[in-house]
Amino acid sequence: MIAKVRRLPRFFGAWVGLTLWLLLMLLLALYPYTGVSSLTLFVGSQVFVLVTLASNWNLIGGLTGYVDFGHAVFFGIGAYVMGILVTHLPLLISPEWSFWQALPISGVAAAVFALLIGLPTLRLKGPYFSIAMLGTFVVTREIVRVLRPLTGGGSGLSLPPILNRLGDYYLMLGVMGLVVAIIWWIHRSEFGQSLIAIREDEIGAEMRGINTTLHKIVAFMIAAFFTGIVGGFWAWQNTVIDPDVVFIEARTVEMVMMSMLGGLGTVWGPPLGAVIIYFLQDVVWGNLFGVHLLVLGVLLVLLALFLPEGILGALEDRSSTSIGRLLGRVTSRGRN
Amino acid sequence: MRQIILLFSLLLVASLVLTACPGPPAPVDAPDTAADSARTDADAEKIIYIGGAVSETGKYAREGQDTRQGYGVWLDWVNNEYGGIKIANHRYKVELVMYDDEGDPDTTARLVERLINEDRVDFLLGPYSSTLTQSASAIAEKYGKIMIEGNGAAETLFERGFQNLFAVLTPAGNYTQSALQMLAAKGAKTVVIAYEDTAFPTSVAEGAQRWAAEYGLELLGVETYPKDVADVSGIISKFKRLEADVFIGGGHFNDAVLFIRAAKELDFNPKAMVITVGPSNPKLVAEVGVDAEYIIGPTQWEASMNYADEYFGSASDYAARYREMWDESPTYQAAESTATALALHLAIEEANSLDTDAVREALRNLDVVTFYGPIDFDETGKNASKPMGAIQIQGGEILVVAPGNAAVADLLYPAPAWKDR
Amino acid sequence: MDQFLQALVSGLLLGGFYAVMALGLSVIWGVMGVINLAHGEFLMIGAYMAWGLFRFFGLDPFASLLLILPLMFLVGYLLQIILINRIVERPYLMALLVTFGVSIALANTFKILFTSDPRNVPVVYNGSMQLVGITFPIVKTIIFFVALLSMICLQIFLQRSRLGKSIRATAQNKNAARIVGVDINRVYAITAGLCIALTAAAGAMISPTQAIFPFMGPPFTLKAFTITALGGLGRIPGALLGGIILGITEILVSTYVQGIGTNLGIVTSFALLVLILVLRPQGLLGGLRPLDAEAE
Repeated sequence: MIAKVRRLPRFFGAWVGLTLWLLLMLLLALYPYTGVSSLTLFVGSQVFVLVTLASNWNLIGGLTGYVDFGHAVFFGIGAYVMGILVTHLPLLISPEWSFWQALPISGVAAAVFALLIGLPTLRLKGPYFSIAMLGTFVVTREIVRVLRPLTGGGSGLSLPPILNRLGDYYLMLGVMGLVVAIIWWIHRSEFGQSLIAIREDEIGAEMRGINTTLHKIVAFMIAAFFTGIVGGFWAWQNTVIDPDVVFIEARTVEMVMMSMLGGLGTVWGPPLGAVIIYFLQDVVWGNLFGVHLLVLGVLLVLLALFLPEGILGALEDRSSTSIGRLLGRVTSRGRN
Repeated sequence: MRQIILLFSLLLVASLVLTACPGPPAPVDAPDTAADSARTDADAEKIIYIGGAVSETGKYAREGQDTRQGYGVWLDWVNNEYGGIKIANHRYKVELVMYDDEGDPDTTARLVERLINEDRVDFLLGPYSSTLTQSASAIAEKYGKIMIEGNGAAETLFERGFQNLFAVLTPAGNYTQSALQMLAAKGAKTVVIAYEDTAFPTSVAEGAQRWAAEYGLELLGVETYPKDVADVSGIISKFKRLEADVFIGGGHFNDAVLFIRAAKELDFNPKAMVITVGPSNPKLVAEVGVDAEYIIGPTQWEASMNYADEYFGSASDYAARYREMWDESPTYQAAESTATALALHLAIEEANSLDTDAVREALRNLDVVTFYGPIDFDETGKNASKPMGAIQIQGGEILVVAPGNAAVADLLYPAPAWKDR
Repeated sequence: MDQFLQALVSGLLLGGFYAVMALGLSVIWGVMGVINLAHGEFLMIGAYMAWGLFRFFGLDPFASLLLILPLMFLVGYLLQIILINRIVERPYLMALLVTFGVSIALANTFKILFTSDPRNVPVVYNGSMQLVGITFPIVKTIIFFVALLSMICLQIFLQRSRLGKSIRATAQNKNAARIVGVDINRVYAITAGLCIALTAAAGAMISPTQAIFPFMGPPFTLKAFTITALGGLGRIPGALLGGIILGITEILVSTYVQGIGTNLGIVTSFALLVLILVLRPQGLLGGLRPLDAEAE
C-alpha cells in the first residue's frame, strides 16, 4: 500500500497551535490565584499526569509507529527509583529535598532502562516489538517483586506523607507544558520527520540515509524519561508503592486509548483524548456500576473499526474514516 | 535550530513571569462559615458528618459491599434506635457521606481529599483493603483528620508513625498466633509456610515465623508465590519432601482452594493445614466439599463467638440484626466495619466533643469489649489486645476452636492422611 | 534423582496442555497474520462453560467437550465474519487493538455475569497414582492424553482433508490461494472457528485443576506467545515441542529455586519470550514469518 503523503503544516499554522498552548499554560498557571480548593488542584494534577503520559506514548507509538504495549514499565521504574531513593538513602537535609533530587533520577533511570531494553527490542518489527515490550513489562514486575531487600517485595515501600497539592499542580503543569511543547517541536523538526519516515517505510528511510536505530532509540528514551518522571511523581503523591499498583496493564491501555481517541501521531490529539477520557471516566463511568471497563473495551473496538485516525485525524483528513466521511457529507450538504 | 531557541526563550520568559509574580494563595480550605454556623446553631438539629470512600465497583466490590453494609448497620442503629451520639447533653444525628473508590488508589485519594475539604466531614472511616487504606490514611494524616478503619491489616500501615490512624482489627502479624499456640500444645513440632507475595499475606507470614519461634516450632521451609497464581503444585511437591507437621499457607480465597486441591492431588499429608484466608468463608466448603475437612483458619470474628456489649448485644444478636437489615449473614469484614464505627462513636462520647484532639485522646484511652471483641488501641493505632480466633472445618461446619473463651469445639489433630478419609 | 524425574514428568504433562492451549493462537497468527490478544479469554469462556455444565447438569468436563467444541466453533466463526474479517487487511495495530478491546470486554462481561469469585470444578477422581516412584496426578495425566489426541486429529485434518489443504494454502500464499478459487473469507472463518473451539476446549480441560475467574486469561495469552515463538507459526509438532520446553522449564525452576521458585517459574516464560524474540526474531525453529513485509 502506498503510504499517504501528508503536506507539512504551514509555518504560521503550527505556531498558532503553540501560542495557544502557551496561553493555555499561562491561564492554568494563573488559575490557582482565583482561589480554588485543594481538590481542584489535585484533579488538575491528575489530568496533567494523564496528558503527559498520553503524549509520551504517542511519541513512540504514534509518531514512530512502534506500538509499545508495555510502556507502563517506565512509569514503574520511575516510581520505584523514587521510592528506593527516598526510603533507603535519606539524600539531603529534609525529605522534601530528597524528592526534588530523586525526581530527575527517576527520569534518567527510566531513560537508561529504555536504552538498554530498546537496543534489542527496537530491532523487532511490528507486533513482535509490542509483544516483547509486554513481556518486558511482566518480567520487570516480577523482578521488582523478587528483589525484596531493595523494593520491599510484594509489600512495597511507604514514602513520607508530605503532600503539597499546590506544588504538585505547578510541577505537573510544568512537566506537561514542556512535554507537549517538545513533541510539538519534534513534530515539525527534521528529527520528527525522520520518525514519521520510519513509521511509513523503515527500509526506505534507512536507504535515504536516516540512522533509524539512533532516531528510534532517542525517541524511545525521551518518551521513557518523562514517563519515568511522572512515575516518580506518582509514587511521591500516592505515598505508597507496590508492584500491583505501580505495574498495572491498565495504565498502558489508558495511554493507548487516549492517543487513539485524540489522533495517533498528532501533537494535540493525545492531550485532547486524555482530557476527554478522564472526564468520561469521572462523570459517566463512575455512575455505570462496574461496567466501565466493559465500556472501555467496546469503545476500543469501535474506535479501531470506525475512527482509527482519532478525532483530530478524522477532522484533518475526512476521507480516511467512515465517521470522517459522514462528517464531510454533512458539512458539504450544509454548504450547498 | 532557530525554532528551538525561540521556543525555549518563550518558555523561559513564561516561567520568569510566573516566578516574578507573588505566589498564589493557599488552597481555599478554610472552614465554610455558613455551613459551620448552621451546624453550631443551638436550635437546629445537630449532625455529625462522617465520610468514607469504599469500593462499590472494581476488584474489591464484594468486600466493599460488606464494609458498607457493616457501616450501615451502625448508622441505622445510632440514628433510629440509640437516638444519636451524646455530646454534652445533646444528641447528634450522624450523616454518612459515602463514595465509590472503584478499587483504585488515585480515585481513593481524590475522594478522601473531597471528603475532607469539600464535604468537611468530622471523621473518616476506612476503605476496604490494605493498599487503599495506605493511600487514604496518608491524606487523612496530612490534614490531621482521624481515620478509623477495620479492613486494612497489613503491619506496614502502622509503621509509618501516623497519629490519626486507628484500626479495630487484629493486625496481620497475629493472624496465626492462636492456631500455632494450640497446635504446639497438641504436639506439632515443625512448620512450613507458603504465602502470596503481597502486603497482607507477607505480614501474616512474617508474624507466623515469629509465633512459630515463640512456641518452639521448627521452621522447615518458606515459599512465596505471585498474585493470581494458577498452580501451586510446585510448592506442595517441595513441601511434601520436608514432611512438616503444620502447613501454613495463604493469600486469597482462591489460594485456599488451590492448596487443598494440590495437597490431595500430590498426596501431601501434613498433620494440620492452616490456611489464612478462605476457611472461615462458608463458600470454601461449598467449593471443595469434604476435602475442606480438618482445615484450620484464623478468623477475625464469628457469629458464634461469645463476645457481647450493651449496644448490639452478643455476637449472634448482631448477626441476627445484620440478617434482618441486609438479608444475608454478616462476614467478618462486615462485623469489623460495624465495630470500627462503634469504636469511633464510643470515643466521641468519651471525649464529649467533636474536637479532633480530644477524640484522638479518647481513642487512645479506649478500652472496651464489644460484640466484636476487645478494643484497646496501642500507640501506633493497632488494636493489639484483640486475640485472633481460629476455626476448624468439622463435618462441613465452621467451628471456632480458639481462643479458649470463645471456642465451641475441640481442635482435631492430627488430620488423617488423604487416603484414610 | 527422584526429584528430577518427578519434575520432568510434571513438566511433560504440563507441556502437553500448554501445546493444545497455544495452538489456537499460533494457527490464527499463521493463517491470517492476526495476533489474537483475546486468546486467553476464549480459554476462560471454555472453563466457565465446563463449570456451568458441571455445576448445573453434573456433566464431566471432559464429556462436556462434545458440547463446547461445536458451540465455540460457531462463536469463533461468527466473530470472524462480524469483526475480524474487517481488520485482517488493515495495519496490524488495528488487529491488536480490536482483539485487545475484545479481551477487556469479554473479561469484564464475565465479571458482571459471574462476579470475580473464583469457581471450581471438583471432579471426584482428583487424586494421584504412584508409578515407579513417580506421582502422576490423575486429572493432569488425562489432560495430557486428551491434548495429544486432539492435536493428532487436527494434524490429520490439516494434512488430509480438502478444507485443511485450503487452510494451509491460504497460510502460505493468500493471493495465490484466492486465484485458484479458495474463498478466503470462508477459510478464515473456519480457521477462527476451529482455533477458538480448540482454545475453549483447553479451558474446559484445565477447569478441574485450577480456579476459574474472569481475569485468568492474559497469562495464558502470553504463554501462548512464548510457545509460538519457540515452536513456530501454525505448526503442531512445533507447538508440542514449545509447550514441553516451557512446561519443563517452569517446573524445574519452581522445584529447584528455593523460596521464590514459583514467582520465578512464571517469569521464566516471559523472559524466554523476550530472549527468543531478541536473539532470533524469526523464532527458535525459524517458524515466525516477518510480518512487516505484509503490514500496511
